[in-house]
Amino acid sequence: MTAPVVVCSWTGIREEPPEETEAALTLGRSVSAGLGVGLVWLVVGPAPQDCAEVAARHGVGEIEVISDPKLSTGLADSFVEAVCRFLGDHPAGLVLFSQTFDTRLVAPLVAGRLGASVVMNALDVAVEGDGLEVTAAAFGGDTRVVYRAATGRPCVVALLANSVVPEPASSPSSPTVSEVPVDLSEVHERVRVLDPARAEGPRLEDAEIIVAGGRGLGSPQNYKLVEQLAEALGGMAAASRPIVDDGWIDSSRQVGLTGKITRPALYLAAGISGATQHMVGCSAAKTIVAVNSDPDAPIFRHARYGIVADCNEVLPELVRAVTQVSDSHD
Amino acid sequence: MRIVVFAKEVLDPDAVGAYAVSGGLVVDDDGNITQSTIPRLMNGYDEQAIEAALRLKDSGLECTVVVASIGSDQTAMLRHALSLGADEVVAIEPPEGPMDCHVVASILVAWVASVGGADLVLCGRQASDDDQGVVPALVSVGLGMPLVTLARSVEMPGLGQPVQVVRVTPDGDEKVEVDLPAVVTVSSELGEPRYPTMPQKMAARKVNPPVLTTQELAVGAGGLEPAVVVARQFVPTLKGDCEIIVGEGPAQLADELVARLVENKLIKAGR
Ligand SMILES: Cc1cc2nc3c(=O)[nH]c(=O)nc-3n(C[C@H](O)[C@H](O)[C@H](O)COP(=O)(O)OP(=O)(O)OC[C@H]3O[C@@H](n4cnc5c(N)ncnc54)[C@H](O)[C@@H]3O)c2cc1C
Ligand SMILES: Nc1ncnc2c1ncn2[C@@H]1O[C@H](COP(=O)(O)O)[C@@H](O)[C@H]1O
Repeated sequence: MTAPVVVCSWTGIREEPPEETEAALTLGRSVSAGLGVGLVWLVVGPAPQDCAEVAARHGVGEIEVISDPKLSTGLADSFVEAVCRFLGDHPAGLVLFSQTFDTRLVAPLVAGRLGASVVMNALDVAVEGDGLEVTAAAFGGDTRVVYRAATGRPCVVALLANSVVPEPASSPSSPTVSEVPVDLSEVHERVRVLDPARAEGPRLEDAEIIVAGGRGLGSPQNYKLVEQLAEALGGMAAASRPIVDDGWIDSSRQVGLTGKITRPALYLAAGISGATQHMVGCSAAKTIVAVNSDPDAPIFRHARYGIVADCNEVLPELVRAVTQVSDSHD
Repeated sequence: MRIVVFAKEVLDPDAVGAYAVSGGLVVDDDGNITQSTIPRLMNGYDEQAIEAALRLKDSGLECTVVVASIGSDQTAMLRHALSLGADEVVAIEPPEGPMDCHVVASILVAWVASVGGADLVLCGRQASDDDQGVVPALVSVGLGMPLVTLARSVEMPGLGQPVQVVRVTPDGDEKVEVDLPAVVTVSSELGEPRYPTMPQKMAARKVNPPVLTTQELAVGAGGLEPAVVVARQFVPTLKGDCEIIVGEGPAQLADELVARLVENKLIKAGR
């Protein structure tokens, strides 16, 4: 295989966190070294300001920028067309995306257009013999599946958030930067946005401290205990899926496989059993604390600290203890 | 109009999870989970995709809802689809070799062509076994239809009109519109699927869903060659270094925990 590894990032409407791009560049570098091929960073949409610096740090050989104004709209057809045209002219062995809401849509479309192999929810890509093996989460994270990609076609992989720790290359590179001319004037967006999503206030994805409540709270009224502790800690309140499904709290607060992927310093889970589908959304937290009345709850296998007790009794005491500590001046 | 729903039968993810947690999950050398005690059921999101189709029908839209599935021995699942209100169901026998999302999509595309097309294709957002969420995209490319993902609601003001989809995004709901034919994937936010009534169940029990083979469908060249094959499957290990806080009553437990958090600089004393 001589075709390069292409890391593709899309600065569309919902910008992807820079550390996710760096994680993809880190993995891309290791695969390109393993295959003895070049590493290309394909930036779709307006290039981030520090792009050359980041690329150099990660040993990127070439930066290719496609910045047609249509690409800032965050719409899929233009993006897919741009990437497929680029890859048509510059065949790649591996095309690596970091998995975001938007790339979850476009990466498989690109793969479909190119007839490429595709693996989503990837945690790792390894060079095995003359081919690639991609490890991905399955069954909501309960298992890992290792896929062997067919040789002779490109492989499109979307890397799950928090799966690779970004690391700079041992020696930086001096990447070339080229603007790729792609004419998208003929592309007709087939999906029309009637009413765009409007993010309101801070995002769970960015929170340093999260207090999450689950079905163990017993009733919707008790969710306010979670909100009170979150407030006392200066953090945000979150939830497991069942109480979102039951309408106790808005779905923007759901953490997990089908909710938000968070990476706070502190994640305190109250009345949450610790199902893998939930843990996918918080396992990157530096410290997980669990309050659960069942000593055998799976959450304790993920937690650093645990309290085995009724969360409805412990949460108010935690609010008191946290407030006391914050108010003390020692 | 014809609404097609693609439904996959999966191993009950909760049962797989329970075996994985207890350390008892049995996986063979090909990466297949072999426990016969794990129930098979319709992928939850696909059941919601059927629900989305039925809601369109309930809204007065003149349409036929057809549920198609690739898999072996799916009579029970397809009868369930009928009892929910699907007008037609069809099973497609998987090919001999291994299947991946490409193979599945190629077969589904060939089937759609064989029945004269579809106006709306509804899928689940992902299959809760592989969690890939790739088949709908590949199908949309194969059929030359646009793709709208993660629907919380799918509405159509009338025949021949575009569908309006509310998508669940990280920034809240987004409302989009797309002309038909199109592929739409359904997310859990659509809400609970309906329950079949007893008479519906009884009626469905009498139906033997038709079974097609891939030989009967004109699958495109290379369509049965998988682009990825499963090499193995395993259960990840957890570190598990939890310190259980001890104390007399909630107040002391809370104080002990907060002391640990302060010690680890996770929360600050004094403001
Ligand atoms: C395809 C798929 C996707 C999914 N996606 C998500 C997702 O994104 N996010 C998500 O959260 N889930 C998701 N789930 C659901 C997930 O599998 C679990 O069912 C869910 O996380 C459980 O939520 P819970 O812990 O709040 O409830 P439960 O599992 O019911 O746990 C409640 C816990 O509270 C404890 N408890 C009870 N009373 C008290 C008390 N008084 N004090 C303290 N503790 C108490 C119990 O011991 C128990 O451990 C998904 C499932 C599937 C199949
Ligand atoms: N074997 C299958 N038969 C019918 N539909 C399927 C099959 N596999 C996947 N699908 C459809 O594609 C969706 C996504 O599947 P996946 O890409 O495997 O996560 C599912 O929710 C189904 O709607």
